[in-house]
Amino acid sequence: MQARGAGQHALVGAYVMDAVTEAERASFERHLLTCEQCREDVRGLREAAARLAEAAAIPPPPERRERTLQAAARMRQQPPLVVSHKRQLLAGRRWRQGSRRLPQFAGDGARPWLARVALGAAVVLAITATVFGLHLSAMQGRLTAAEQRDTAIATVLGAHDATTLTAKVTTGGTATVVMSHRMRALVFIASGLTRLPAAQAYELWLMSPAGDTPAGMLPPARRGMSGPMVVNRLRPGEQLAMTVEPATGARRPTSAPVVLVVLGP
Amino acid sequence: MIDYRPPVRHATQGAGASRQVTPSRPVVSDEYRGVEDMAGGDHADGTPQDRPVSRPRPGSLEVILAEVAKGDDAAFRAVYDQAAPAVLGIVRRVLRDPAQSEEVMQEVLLEIWRTAARFDPSAGSATAWILTLAHRRAVDRVRSEQRAAERELRAATASIAYDEVSDAALTSLEQQRVRRCLDGLTDLQRESVTLAYYGGYSYREVAQLLGVAVGTVKTRMRDGLIRLRDCLGVE
Repeated sequence: MQARGAGQHALVGAYVMDAVTEAERASFERHLLTCEQCREDVRGLREAAARLAEAAAIPPPPERRERTLQAAARMRQQPPLVVSHKRQLLAGRRWRQGSRRLPQFAGDGARPWLARVALGAAVVLAITATVFGLHLSAMQGRLTAAEQRDTAIATVLGAHDATTLTAKVTTGGTATVVMSHRMRALVFIASGLTRLPAAQAYELWLMSPAGDTPAGMLPPARRGMSGPMVVNRLRPGEQLAMTVEPATGARRPTSAPVVLVVLGP
Repeated sequence: MIDYRPPVRHATQGAGASRQVTPSRPVVSDEYRGVEDMAGGDHADGTPQDRPVSRPRPGSLEVILAEVAKGDDAAFRAVYDQAAPAVLGIVRRVLRDPAQSEEVMQEVLLEIWRTAARFDPSAGSATAWILTLAHRRAVDRVRSEQRAAERELRAATASIAYDEVSDAALTSLEQQRVRRCLDGLTDLQRESVTLAYYGGYSYREVAQLLGVAVGTVKTRMRDGLIRLRDCLGVE
C-alpha cells in the first residue's frame, strides 16, 4: 500500500507532461483523489510546465487569427456546470427535528475509511479520468448529459479545496462525498447499499433550516457502486441526506435519512 | 537504429545571456490592457508563495476567461492574442510540422472558447489550464499517429527544440529565466524533462532514448519539474 502510493507519487512529473499511457493516467488520477498533496503537486508542476511552453512561444501567422475568431463565432459554447437539483421548483418542507436520527458520521479524521472508500472513489475517477486531464476529443460543440456530468465531477475533484467525507449508511453501505466549498458543489458516491425493491430508490436531499430540497435520485448500483452524482449550488449550513423513497422520487422526504453528512460550517 | 545525439549543454547561455529584453508582446485589445502576457513578462512582483490564481487581478487572463465564457468576442480576441503564441510554440515543439501545428493551435483556441465556462480558477492559473490543454492535444495527436504507423523515433528532437529556445526571435526575461532554470537541472533531469515535454515522448520512450531504467526516468521527470517550479518561483 505504502510502496504503491510512493510509486504513484513518482509518476507526477510524467503525468503532468503527458508522458504516461492512458491506463497510467487513469490510475494516477485515482490516486489523486485520495492524495491532497499530489493534487497540490500537480497544480504546481503544471504551472512550471506552462513556463516551458511560454518559453517556446512563436507568433502565429496573422491570417490564422481571423480564421480562428470566425470559427469561434460560429461555435456554440458549453454552459457552466449542470445543476442537478431543482431548488427553484420546490418549496421543500423542513424535516422534523424530533424524528431525525443522525447516523454515525465520520469526518476527515476517519483515515481507515478513506482507504476503504478509495475503491469507490476510484470508480468516480475512472469515469472522469480523461476529463480531469482536460478531455479534448469532443469538438462537436455539443456535449451529452453524461459528458457534462463527467466534467462537473472532474471539476469538483480537481478543486483546490476538495475534501473527502465518508459516512456509514444506517441500512448498510458507505457514502462518500467529495466536496468543494469554493465550487459549492459535491460529488456523491455510495458503495454496498442495501438493494431496494424495484418500487423504491435512494434519493438525495439538501437539508437546511430553510427546507429540504431534492438533490436527485441515485441510479441503480452497478457492481456495488451507486453514483457518482453531482450536487451543485450548495449553501452554507446545508447537510446532505439520503432517504429511501418511491422509485419515481418524492418532492420531500417521506422517511428518515439513512445517511446524513454535515457538509461544513 | 536510434541515432540519438545527447542534448547540447547550455551552461554558458543561461547566465551569459543578454540582459537586453525585447519582449515581442502580442497585440492586446485596449479593453484588456495590463494583462499578464503569456509569452513574456516579468513576474518579479509575485512572491513564490503566491499562486497566481488565488487573487485574479482585473484584466488577468482568469478574469478575461470569465468574459469569454459569456460569449464576449473581444475577450476571446484578447485570449487569442495572449495565448496563441505559447500554444503554437508548444504544439509545434511536439508536432514539428508547421501546418499541422497551426491546425492544432486553432483547435486548442476553439476548445478554450467552447469550454471557458468550465475553467476552474481553484485548480490552477488560466495560463496553465490553456497550456495543459495545448500540450495534451499535441501529444494526443502524436500518439494517435503513432498508433497508425509506428513512429520513427525523431532523433535529438529535444536538443534541437532546446536550441531553438535560445535562437528564437523572441527573447524575454521569462525565457532567459526558463533557460537558466533548465541549466540548473542535472543532465538527466533536463533531458528527461525536455524529451517528455518538448519532444512529446512517453517516459518509457525517454528511458529507451537515454538508456536508463524507467523508474529512474520517472523520478528525474518529477525531480526536474519540481526543481524548475522552485527555480521559476511558481507554486
